[in-house]
Amino acid sequence: MIAQSAMQQLEQALGKEKLVSAKEDLLVLGYDSTPGLHATPDLVVYPTSTEDVVKVVEVARDYRIPLTPRGSATGLSGGSIPINGGIVICLNRMNRILEIDEENLTATCEPGVVTLDLFNAVAEKGLFYPPDPGSQKISTLAGNVMEDAGGLRGLKYGVTRDYVMALTCVLADGSVIATGGKSVKDVAGYAFKDLLVGSEGTLGIITEITVKLIPPPQTKQTFLAYFDNIRTAGEAVSKIIAAKIIPSTMEIMDKATINCVEDYVGIGLPRQMAALLLIEVDGHPAVVAEEAEALKTILQQVGAAQVQQAKDAQDAMKLAEARRTALSALARVSPTTLLEDATVPRSKLADTFTLIEQLTEKYQLTVGTFGHAGDGNLHPTVLCDERNEDEMKRAHAFYDELYEQVLAWGGTVSGEHGIGIAKKGYLARQIGPGGVAVMRRIKSAFDPQGIMNPGKIFVSEQE
Amino acid sequence: MSNQQPLGNFTHQDAPAYEDVLQCMRCGFCLPTCPTFALTGRERSSPRGRVALARAVAEGKLDFNQAMKDEAFFCLDCRACTTACPSGVKAGEVMEVCRAQAHQQLPAPKWQGSLRNLVLKKMVPNPDLMETSMLPARLYQKLGIQWLVRNSKILKLGPTWIDKAEGMLPQLHRPLRPQLPDLSPAKGEKRGTVAFFLGCVMTLLYPEVSRQTVKVLNHQGFDVITPKEQKCCGAPHLTEGDRETTREIAALNLDLFLDLEVDAIVTDCAGCGAALKEYEEILAEREDHERLHRFQQKIKDISEFLCEQGIRTEGLKPVDKSVTYHEPCHLCHAQGISKQPRELIKAIPGVEFREMKEASWCCGSAATFSLKFTQESQQILDRKLENVKKTGAEILVTGNPGCHLQLAWGLQQAQMPQPVLHITELLGLATPD
Repeated sequence: MIAQSAMQQLEQALGKEKLVSAKEDLLVLGYDSTPGLHATPDLVVYPTSTEDVVKVVEVARDYRIPLTPRGSATGLSGGSIPINGGIVICLNRMNRILEIDEENLTATCEPGVVTLDLFNAVAEKGLFYPPDPGSQKISTLAGNVMEDAGGLRGLKYGVTRDYVMALTCVLADGSVIATGGKSVKDVAGYAFKDLLVGSEGTLGIITEITVKLIPPPQTKQTFLAYFDNIRTAGEAVSKIIAAKIIPSTMEIMDKATINCVEDYVGIGLPRQMAALLLIEVDGHPAVVAEEAEALKTILQQVGAAQVQQAKDAQDAMKLAEARRTALSALARVSPTTLLEDATVPRSKLADTFTLIEQLTEKYQLTVGTFGHAGDGNLHPTVLCDERNEDEMKRAHAFYDELYEQVLAWGGTVSGEHGIGIAKKGYLARQIGPGGVAVMRRIKSAFDPQGIMNPGKIFVSEQE
Repeated sequence: MSNQQPLGNFTHQDAPAYEDVLQCMRCGFCLPTCPTFALTGRERSSPRGRVALARAVAEGKLDFNQAMKDEAFFCLDCRACTTACPSGVKAGEVMEVCRAQAHQQLPAPKWQGSLRNLVLKKMVPNPDLMETSMLPARLYQKLGIQWLVRNSKILKLGPTWIDKAEGMLPQLHRPLRPQLPDLSPAKGEKRGTVAFFLGCVMTLLYPEVSRQTVKVLNHQGFDVITPKEQKCCGAPHLTEGDRETTREIAALNLDLFLDLEVDAIVTDCAGCGAALKEYEEILAEREDHERLHRFQQKIKDISEFLCEQGIRTEGLKPVDKSVTYHEPCHLCHAQGISKQPRELIKAIPGVEFREMKEASWCCGSAATFSLKFTQESQQILDRKLENVKKTGAEILVTGNPGCHLQLAWGLQQAQMPQPVLHITELLGLATPD
């Protein structure tokens, strides 16, 4: 519950039209795309400027009200779910692209700009913003920054972090910091910007973002390689990397995923294949031609059942679009879809696939696996029904065992979705008590009262 | 979509199935396609939010309250979210069912209810009554009263929807249903026989358009049978949440058309086509599955049908115009018919086709939405008109009478020069008499 006087102050500061507290609104502003998680905020605010955000934070600070930032709520670890109630601060009305600076190759945006809108706006000026998370059509830039979102182009172009140049951020005490800038080099003091990227809203609320842009690749070629055995696909990935070819995209889908995607998009994917790799090489035409040849040779050597080349750009786009639907297409099959984000060193990919197959068998589950093979980042997805308690228990046991081995191989419990609520336990296993303790100290330096997105990433001392 | 046990706070009759709402994984892919979310930015006015509300009702966490009712009717039912949803959630259909719930759980004041029953249960199912009811409107235009009313601006004094409704009225002609012969014979080499499903709005407001449909079908080599006993397709009842009357009408149409020896049942109204194709689901619990499926397989939108058969272009006159195309929601999203109309347009000699941006974005007509929510409808329409303008095309083509009314009215208000033509009117221009 929010004190009456706090409500009055917020109303005065922002105006009534920026506050929402009807039950029906609150009910639909406490979820994201993480299955099974839902909470109800006490109030939702829609700021339209940094000043608005400051005013909200000041009231939250004075009354110790939990604050949870939210963009489009497409997250996959529960980052924007207000588990302690309080205020959800919805940033999607701050959605202007403020500047595209063609001299410095940067773009400056408000936090609620939709990722694909930015991509399109800079593309019109002949520039390229590479990070492309699966939800790019609706995900917001600040959400991408806070979760350090990846995407299909991560292998060659990196993830959101690699493009953030400057951030403006409102801290828990109501102060505003600007960190970073348009300078390509910047070693002035602690790199707050880098600390804020991926902090999942626990250290502050971003109100302005400057990202780096690059020239787009001149050309690209897209291949589909099919395999009779998913292990072979894993080996192909390692071999390609070992041959010093860095494709811009190297995505994998297993048989279950191929079939679900084909059910949805119907573009003629062969349903009997155990796995497919979608591979894209891009850059200078001469280099692309050379890499494409080398790629074909490697794929033949490892024993791909079939290799297909996209006819044209449209054909290539269709394939990439099909891959983008993987998660949701799997979701058609069952009422509940549990998605994980296990990431391993690439040399361990083939072993990981074998392990997933074994565990699927052991726990008697239906699992579809897809992901960014080139990054070693897999999304083993359990298709289940939340009403079936026993099945849910088996699903969790499946992930527990999987993560234990992933960590033993030097992998990570999250490649790109973040820890949020869903994976706090796994993170503690990965970084140990010492790691959690340091994170807590950083958190309390920024947010001594613990009002910024409480309950996320690690178990707090109060819990 | 009905259950034996009431589901949460839904009543037993015409409730969504729990699976239909549980299926949403909240990925948000629907959000950028939803016109009402684009307008308001409010999650509850998005497909994901609406399904979440329905789920809350199903789980007993929310009463079926005014907000739920508001969202059910504020939804355009444009089905753009159905196209975008990879998980197969049909938010539009869930909202349609919620409209039926609204009438059970939150009935309108008595006079509104009686008027609604009169229109939906007595008038619309009866073509004779509907045709007679149009007589005053035709006289209104013929006797010059319309000129008087429009020039005196008297309607500006009443609610905005009356003014808009009057302004939307096209030049009226005699209804087509009684005029069409039972059989219009094919010209040239005969390719088959089709039954013509003549929508209410088409026969009453656009009789001359449907006349072109018959002309084109004949010229393309098809006998056209028009059974006079046909009823309304039932779409208005679905939209307003009166599913029972839909089932009654649907059963009559089903019997009538299945008795005919025809290759296809063709309609030139996207709304009718979508509803007729849904009979299989609507009547699932009452009728033999094989019959329903056979009926469903025969229903064809005119564009769909002509493309399947292949259009005969010999003898077509050139139409030297630039043309752009607005996709009716009930054609592209509800029936998945998107390529076919474009192929037909491009097949006409002389036509220069210009694709518009966001061609499949709703025009804001959406059955009675354009009259119930005049302001929101206008905003959606403005976005459409802007995209039409950018093409610089001379003609705007579409394939549904609701869109036709809305677009023609909007273009006129915005003083834009393009006429709106139904796709068969454009084909009709190319077809010799």
